[in-house]
Amino acid sequence: MNILHEFEFFKPKSKKEALELVKSQGSKAKVLAGGTDLIIQMKEKMIKPDAIIDISDLEELKGIKCKEGKGAEILSCTKLADIEFNADLQKKYPALTHAVGQLGSNQVRVMGTMGGNCCHSSPAAETPAPLSALGAKVVIESVDGEREMTIEDFIQGNRRNDLKEGEILTKFILPEPVKNSACRYGHIGLRNAMEIDCANMAVNIELGEDKESIKSVKLVMGSVAIRPLVSQAVPALLVGKKLTEELVIKAGEAAQSEAKPISDVRASAEYRKEVIGALARRLVKEAYEAAKEA
Amino acid sequence: MKKQVIKLDINNRIYEVLVSPTDLLVDVLRKQLGFTGTKKGCGQGDCGACTILVDGKAHLSCLMLAVSSEGKKITTIEGIANQETGELHPLQKSFLDHGAVQCGFCSPGMILSSMALIDENPNATEEDIKHALEGNLCRCTGYVLILEAVESYVKALSQGEV
Amino acid sequence: MGKMYEVSNKYNNYKEYEREFTEVGRSIPRLDGPAKVTGKVQYTDDLVLPRMTYGKILRSPHAHANIKSIDYSEALKLDGVLAVITGEDCPIPYGIVPHNCNEHALAVGKVRNWGEGVAAVAAIDEATAEKALELIKVEYEVLEAIVDPRESVKRDDLRIHENHPNNIAYEGTQVYGDPDKALKESDHVIEREFYSSYITHAFIEPQSAIADFDPNTGKLHLYATCQVPHYTHQQLSKVLELPMNKIRITVPLIGGGFGGKGVASQADFCSSILSRKLGRPVKITYERNEVFATNNGRHPCYMKFRMGFDKNGKITAVDFNNLMDGGAYSGWGIVVLFYTASMVHIPYMVPNVRFEGKRVFTNKPTCGAQRGLGGVQPRFAMEQLLDEAAEHFGMSPYEIRKLNAAESGYTAKSMMYVPHTEYKKCLDEVVEKSGYLEKHGKLPFGKGIGLSGGYYISGTSYTLYLSYKPHTVATIKIDEENGVTLFCGATDIGQGVDTVMAQMAAETLGVKTEDVKVIPRDTELSTFDLGTFASRLTFATGWAIRQAAERVNAELFPVAASLMGCRGDEVAVKDGYFYSIYERGSKRQNKEVKWTDVVTMYIESNGPLTCSGQFTPPRRKGIQQGGNIGHSPSFGFSAQIAEVDVDLETGKVNVVKITEAGDCGQPINPMSVEGQVHGSIQMGLGQALYEEMQIAPDGKFLNPSLHDYKMPTIRDMPKIDASIVEAFDPSAPYGGKESGEGPIQPTIPAIFNAVYDAIGIRFTEMPLTPEKVLKAIKAQQNNK
Repeated sequence: MNILHEFEFFKPKSKKEALELVKSQGSKAKVLAGGTDLIIQMKEKMIKPDAIIDISDLEELKGIKCKEGKGAEILSCTKLADIEFNADLQKKYPALTHAVGQLGSNQVRVMGTMGGNCCHSSPAAETPAPLSALGAKVVIESVDGEREMTIEDFIQGNRRNDLKEGEILTKFILPEPVKNSACRYGHIGLRNAMEIDCANMAVNIELGEDKESIKSVKLVMGSVAIRPLVSQAVPALLVGKKLTEELVIKAGEAAQSEAKPISDVRASAEYRKEVIGALARRLVKEAYEAAKEA
Repeated sequence: MKKQVIKLDINNRIYEVLVSPTDLLVDVLRKQLGFTGTKKGCGQGDCGACTILVDGKAHLSCLMLAVSSEGKKITTIEGIANQETGELHPLQKSFLDHGAVQCGFCSPGMILSSMALIDENPNATEEDIKHALEGNLCRCTGYVLILEAVESYVKALSQGEV
Repeated sequence: MGKMYEVSNKYNNYKEYEREFTEVGRSIPRLDGPAKVTGKVQYTDDLVLPRMTYGKILRSPHAHANIKSIDYSEALKLDGVLAVITGEDCPIPYGIVPHNCNEHALAVGKVRNWGEGVAAVAAIDEATAEKALELIKVEYEVLEAIVDPRESVKRDDLRIHENHPNNIAYEGTQVYGDPDKALKESDHVIEREFYSSYITHAFIEPQSAIADFDPNTGKLHLYATCQVPHYTHQQLSKVLELPMNKIRITVPLIGGGFGGKGVASQADFCSSILSRKLGRPVKITYERNEVFATNNGRHPCYMKFRMGFDKNGKITAVDFNNLMDGGAYSGWGIVVLFYTASMVHIPYMVPNVRFEGKRVFTNKPTCGAQRGLGGVQPRFAMEQLLDEAAEHFGMSPYEIRKLNAAESGYTAKSMMYVPHTEYKKCLDEVVEKSGYLEKHGKLPFGKGIGLSGGYYISGTSYTLYLSYKPHTVATIKIDEENGVTLFCGATDIGQGVDTVMAQMAAETLGVKTEDVKVIPRDTELSTFDLGTFASRLTFATGWAIRQAAERVNAELFPVAASLMGCRGDEVAVKDGYFYSIYERGSKRQNKEVKWTDVVTMYIESNGPLTCSGQFTPPRRKGIQQGGNIGHSPSFGFSAQIAEVDVDLETGKVNVVKITEAGDCGQPINPMSVEGQVHGSIQMGLGQALYEEMQIAPDGKFLNPSLHDYKMPTIRDMPKIDASIVEAFDPSAPYGGKESGEGPIQPTIPAIFNAVYDAIGIRFTEMPLTPEKVLKAIKAQQNNK
């Protein structure tokens, strides 16, 4: 069914106005950033908001700051395509730009935003895993001020997040990658494009001064739990060690042991577990090799 | 439901249309303004048949509210050929010459997605083209001749032939 | 008139043996191309008629339920709602095969699949129509649903159709020769079970219909996305109880069909019934989930095969048992069932055959006709069995196919006659081009190469109802104002038959293709044609067009001859000029006269010039039940080689390249042939690897969207190296045969054979999902 339920339409001209609207409209309103998820949900009558607050053209919420040594700030309504093709981000955060490039189709990336992808909080979303692996924080604003939290604290479950009434996610803050570190992203879907991932993962590895022993590792899995799953077992296994083939295999097993996937129309839980192993092996190796070169 | 008059800039002309907030751009284009070259294949952003250019970039008009589209430059497939002479754009011609058109239902979207790519990246590689067209489904051609049509146009462009 | 030409030229048909074509064989971009790339072309949903209203269909959320009551009083009260209809308004059943039709425009008493229509609304706009649907109250008594035919056939206690015990729609047996004896005496017998999956056409244009009933004349004009306007015409006449001459069907351009628009849609009927009620036009366009709910896709088959070979690797017998999942209604079912039977007889010589088949009802959207229907399923099995046998005999898969391949003039046990085949040439070509013999069995673990062959019919020999009339009629009108106008009711569904028909007409008439106007797809304006199915059009319309065009020539040649001063039987025509093949005029050139001058002279002296031609396929008596299904005037052949990479850690199969060679006889438009081949490969690859309609145990459709129904994207396509082998079918009008359904036959088994070559595992179920592949790889590793 393609006819939308009736709603009132607001297109604020400033962030301030947007925040006021979000507050006054409360829970009956939905924020439209790109629309590639929201409009589909509305067409399918999964949600019937009484008001739409369109922030997709708010220049105040768009932009990328990515300077040497200073991490990066990505405003929430920045189009995914602008992130994907940003040369500075590609250089500093290839895991993120790669993940963004694998999301939906070109049209979806042109229309959609990273803020939308995270606020939609689908367990299969592409960007939360790399953001989490990179240690990203989100900035949430309301008329009363702003607060900051890690992406993994923000996303709480299937289509659930920490956004409260009257709030808008306005910014992502990415820390500067530490010395001798590298992050990689991978995903498994049935087709080679236009997929909802059956599993995705990002791995961030930091090496010690010797450029061989692992100082820290953060492995985050997507689509295998109701929210991005940060591995405890893999760091426990790898930190302090030099990577060997044997450790690679064990890292795969460790990640598998933590994944709690479900079976659905796209893949079975067993298969998701299997490919988590494959992704972990590949990405740990890739990130490790890249960190050596970093 | 409250209707409002909005101004849409389509193919370099301004159109005033009366819409309600729930009206999707694809429907306004097709039903109110007669730009039926914009196709509707799934209504859910999966097929790309409704692709139009908004400020030069490929957008899915089935997932856009008409009211959100004011103040943007919209290009539909009707705006691609020479507006005065009607002569086909060389990319359109390339689609025909390479057999990249069968039933034609995906063709407007395919052409517009390709246009957006090449306008931004005139030296697009095979990989770039695939990346740009992955959201445009076609069931007739198997895509291979579409890829060839776009590649051939890129080549002609780089050699200054078009 | 023209007698001298007709008599004399029969023995002097220089063109036939020279085969020097000027229009046929040209890769002409399709004539409707410019309109398609500029968005000018009109598909059904693009049309708007004055005072048009919009219809929507309410669909059942249950797969199997009795309808206790429908209350639409609230819907009628909604401002803007004009009419509501239910099954009570359309009690007469329809179906493409008239003698076992059981479908209704809207469910009568009972729904049998998820998404079956139960009521329809017409309103002033779509939003109102959709709101009205929400106000219709339907009380269902939900019944247990059966979605597996293996279970359905055991459940006489739960009949989906009361008059079908054990839910068997139809069953049939065919025995040719003595398969039991032959199998007993065989040197090697392979026995194996296969499952082919539940997929759909996934054309991009959803079905749409606009019905315009005129109460003053009592006439209905339907615009519809229909690839068989004639059969829809008949069914509409039956359901609406209107004589056929009170119904006109116009088919605007179609955005892909592949067989899916080869049945009348519920939109056709509902819009017509509503329009008759209102006296205003009604448009109904499907949403994508409605396309899935009514899809008529490919029949899943549970197939048991026994295939015997003698000590040299020659096929001795095939014993084929097929349990076919038909879904909720009959549709094309009986035809598809017996197609699966006939498809085992070619392209290899099989001296003894047994077929036992059942088509069984289940609570799923009805299965029907999809590109290569009835062939894809047994081909999937047989081409893998051939590879297995080759391995047993220590032969190459290429060798065993060559050994068993039929040749021109072959008559199969089922009486199917093959007037012409270059199948062996196809095999030679792909094997050579791909380097198959150097690669097969020699690639590193995880990489593989697979060969397969296939064929398909170039039309059918029979109509779906008993009739002796021609299957196609073509009329050519010649006048000074329009030049050449060709009338033929054939339906272009994107394959390009409009252009091909113009080419064939232009060839015989000696004019340019671009100058031929084609008036197709209209039951009133065009001449009779059965429709687009069974890859029949090039062959069938070709004969009708050629006959009509030759009759035109028979009229014009004597006039041209008298203008040039030569004999009528030495006149030829080409590029817009009549010329004498012997007499030379001034400048030592052959005598010639402009085509248009001859036309003017003819019309001024004789009056208007219109000639018709027709085609009725030859009949060969089938000797068994259903045995005439599969008979065709000729057959197209194809061989393919797939090269794959298997990701051993994730099980993902990546098809890297497909090498194809096809025998379509003389290609009328090589560019169009290539398009058909590529499209076939894409659809085959989708079924092999990704696509499947998923139905829950309770009959709910789990993935009725193009997001979760995974058809290949541009990223999923391999490199394709397709070629057309040198061929000319003398039984075909311009030497050309089918090319749109044969090329899908080898794709799936070629990929499966390649996967076997890559990892040594024989898969027998589609699709080859990473999940299945990885599981098998793991099992293989554990066994070692």
